Amino acid sequence: MRLFLHLLIVIILLFSCKKDKTVFEATPYILDIPSHFPSMIIPEDNPMTVEGVELGRYLFYEKKLSGDNTISCASCHSPSISFSDSNQFSVGIDGVYGTRQSMALVNLGWEDFYTWDGSKSSLEAQILEPVPNPIEMHQEWKDAVKKLNQDVLYRNRFFRAFGEEGIDSIKVSKAIAQFLRTLISSNSKYDVMYKYENGIPLNSSDQSIFQNIDNEEWAGYDLFKSLNGADCFHCHNGPLMRVKKFSNNGLDATFSDLGRGGVTGNVNDNGKFKVPTLRNIALTAPYMHDGRFNTLDEVIDHYSSGIHISPTIDPLIEFSSQGGVQLDNLEKELLKKFLLTLTDESFINNPNFMNPH
Amino acid sequence: MRYLFLIIVVYLFSACKKCKTDDSNPELNYLSVKLQPFFGIDSLYLDSSYITSEGYRVKFTDIKCFFTDVNNNNNLLSDAVLYDFRETGNLLLEQEGVIEDFTNLRFVIGVDSLLNHSDPSAFPNDSPLNISNAGTMHWGWNPGYIFISIEGKVDTLATSSSTFDKNFSFHVGRDAFIGEKNLTNVNWQSINSNEHSLNLKLDMQLFLNGSTNSINLSNEFITHSSAGQDVLTNKVKENFIEAISL
Repeated sequence: MRLFLHLLIVIILLFSCKKDKTVFEATPYILDIPSHFPSMIIPEDNPMTVEGVELGRYLFYEKKLSGDNTISCASCHSPSISFSDSNQFSVGIDGVYGTRQSMALVNLGWEDFYTWDGSKSSLEAQILEPVPNPIEMHQEWKDAVKKLNQDVLYRNRFFRAFGEEGIDSIKVSKAIAQFLRTLISSNSKYDVMYKYENGIPLNSSDQSIFQNIDNEEWAGYDLFKSLNGADCFHCHNGPLMRVKKFSNNGLDATFSDLGRGGVTGNVNDNGKFKVPTLRNIALTAPYMHDGRFNTLDEVIDHYSSGIHISPTIDPLIEFSSQGGVQLDNLEKELLKKFLLTLTDESFINNPNFMNPH
Repeated sequence: MRYLFLIIVVYLFSACKKCKTDDSNPELNYLSVKLQPFFGIDSLYLDSSYITSEGYRVKFTDIKCFFTDVNNNNNLLSDAVLYDFRETGNLLLEQEGVIEDFTNLRFVIGVDSLLNHSDPSAFPNDSPLNISNAGTMHWGWNPGYIFISIEGKVDTLATSSSTFDKNFSFHVGRDAFIGEKNLTNVNWQSINSNEHSLNLKLDMQLFLNGSTNSINLSNEFITHSSAGQDVLTNKVKENFIEAISL
């Protein structure tokens, strides 16, 4: 009996020691969802944790993910310009240029598809793409993982984020996705205008912003929404300042880039691209999928008088037969004034989003 | 061995108990309602061309609608459904329910004023009224929901080149344009003993040429339910309701 008791105690001690050594419970990360936003749906297989988000931030700025250690995700998604790229096309480690403009990374947790053609339906899947892409970071995942594994700090961070030893591409993508889901922009003048218009209570900070919205900005907003004005609201509205759809916005009569049609193979999707958010739009030039417009003025001119008709043009470009909505100079200025209200300084200066290296 | 016998006895006892409990409740059926668009007698496909009574070629690119309060008297089948023919095909709703409760169906086309002016971010994630799910069917500017959205292109030039020279977009919203449909003696089709389907028709030819109102796409091609667009908005609403049938 005594022998049995001793044996039992030894087993219990052994078991508890083993547990202490291998189990780490990551801290759940509580996202601060703005009151006027819908809730964010987090994938069940990638719950957000404090350790995961922090690891994702390190990885987002990690140049070891590129073949020659020269570029990171942030190279083409700079925080100071709403995680976008000021170049028309981003350049990879071999000096090769892409064919589409890098999209701004903002409020991604509410998206259902990613990139201009929507070819990826999850953030985690999209993040796996640039590392091995020969015109981007140009490095096989096994080599990227090997580099990370050589760094004891990363080994520890992955362990703390995922509660187990080992690094692989899936964990890298999950961690970066967790970080990207924290990139929430919701503190612009527009947010206050939206809340006011939808009867959502304004807090004291909102009240003070509200006092600083001038008449021209309100007039620009009216134009933005007006059917006989700029008519922008069909594709850009709500707290996220976009709708979930692919649209041909009249850039070309024929298409050198099929856009969504290249993904679906359906000719009715040719020339359609994802409708991007207008949040921080003043910061994210150049514009359109191919970065053809350098300024907001050029964009406004396009919608005013530069529309090209094609078989798949969005029916909501309602004045396409006239070449656009025909704004005069004053209207163009007012519209631009409104577009500037979408800038969120707290977003681009958020210390939690900055390079931790 | 005796232990195994005991387990079997306990299991059988538990299974019998379950059967007995179920017998006391009405049988829940799996009910699905489909809304299939037609153009006259032809099944309608988005982006395909059809000829209007005026001789114009017409293509529909989107047909969407909010159906709310789908019920039969006190029996609610669904509180809100977003019909989106491009995204989800002809499926209007799938729901558990007692088939005998739904021999008639009444539904609202649109969203009642209370919900229409609620914060669209505050609905549950799985509600079609949540702005994430409503998508283009919520107007940030109105504010409120688009009840009916029908979009497409029309060739009013009637040339052989088939140039679709005009876009049309009919967006019905605002509280004044909420609609209602009643269907009596609905004929549920049995797929199996517990699964039943109701197939409704949406005739887009009738939508353009209703019994009271016709919509001539050459000069009636836009409404966003704004002031001054009430005549066309009402036509769209009335014709859409009329176009739905058993």
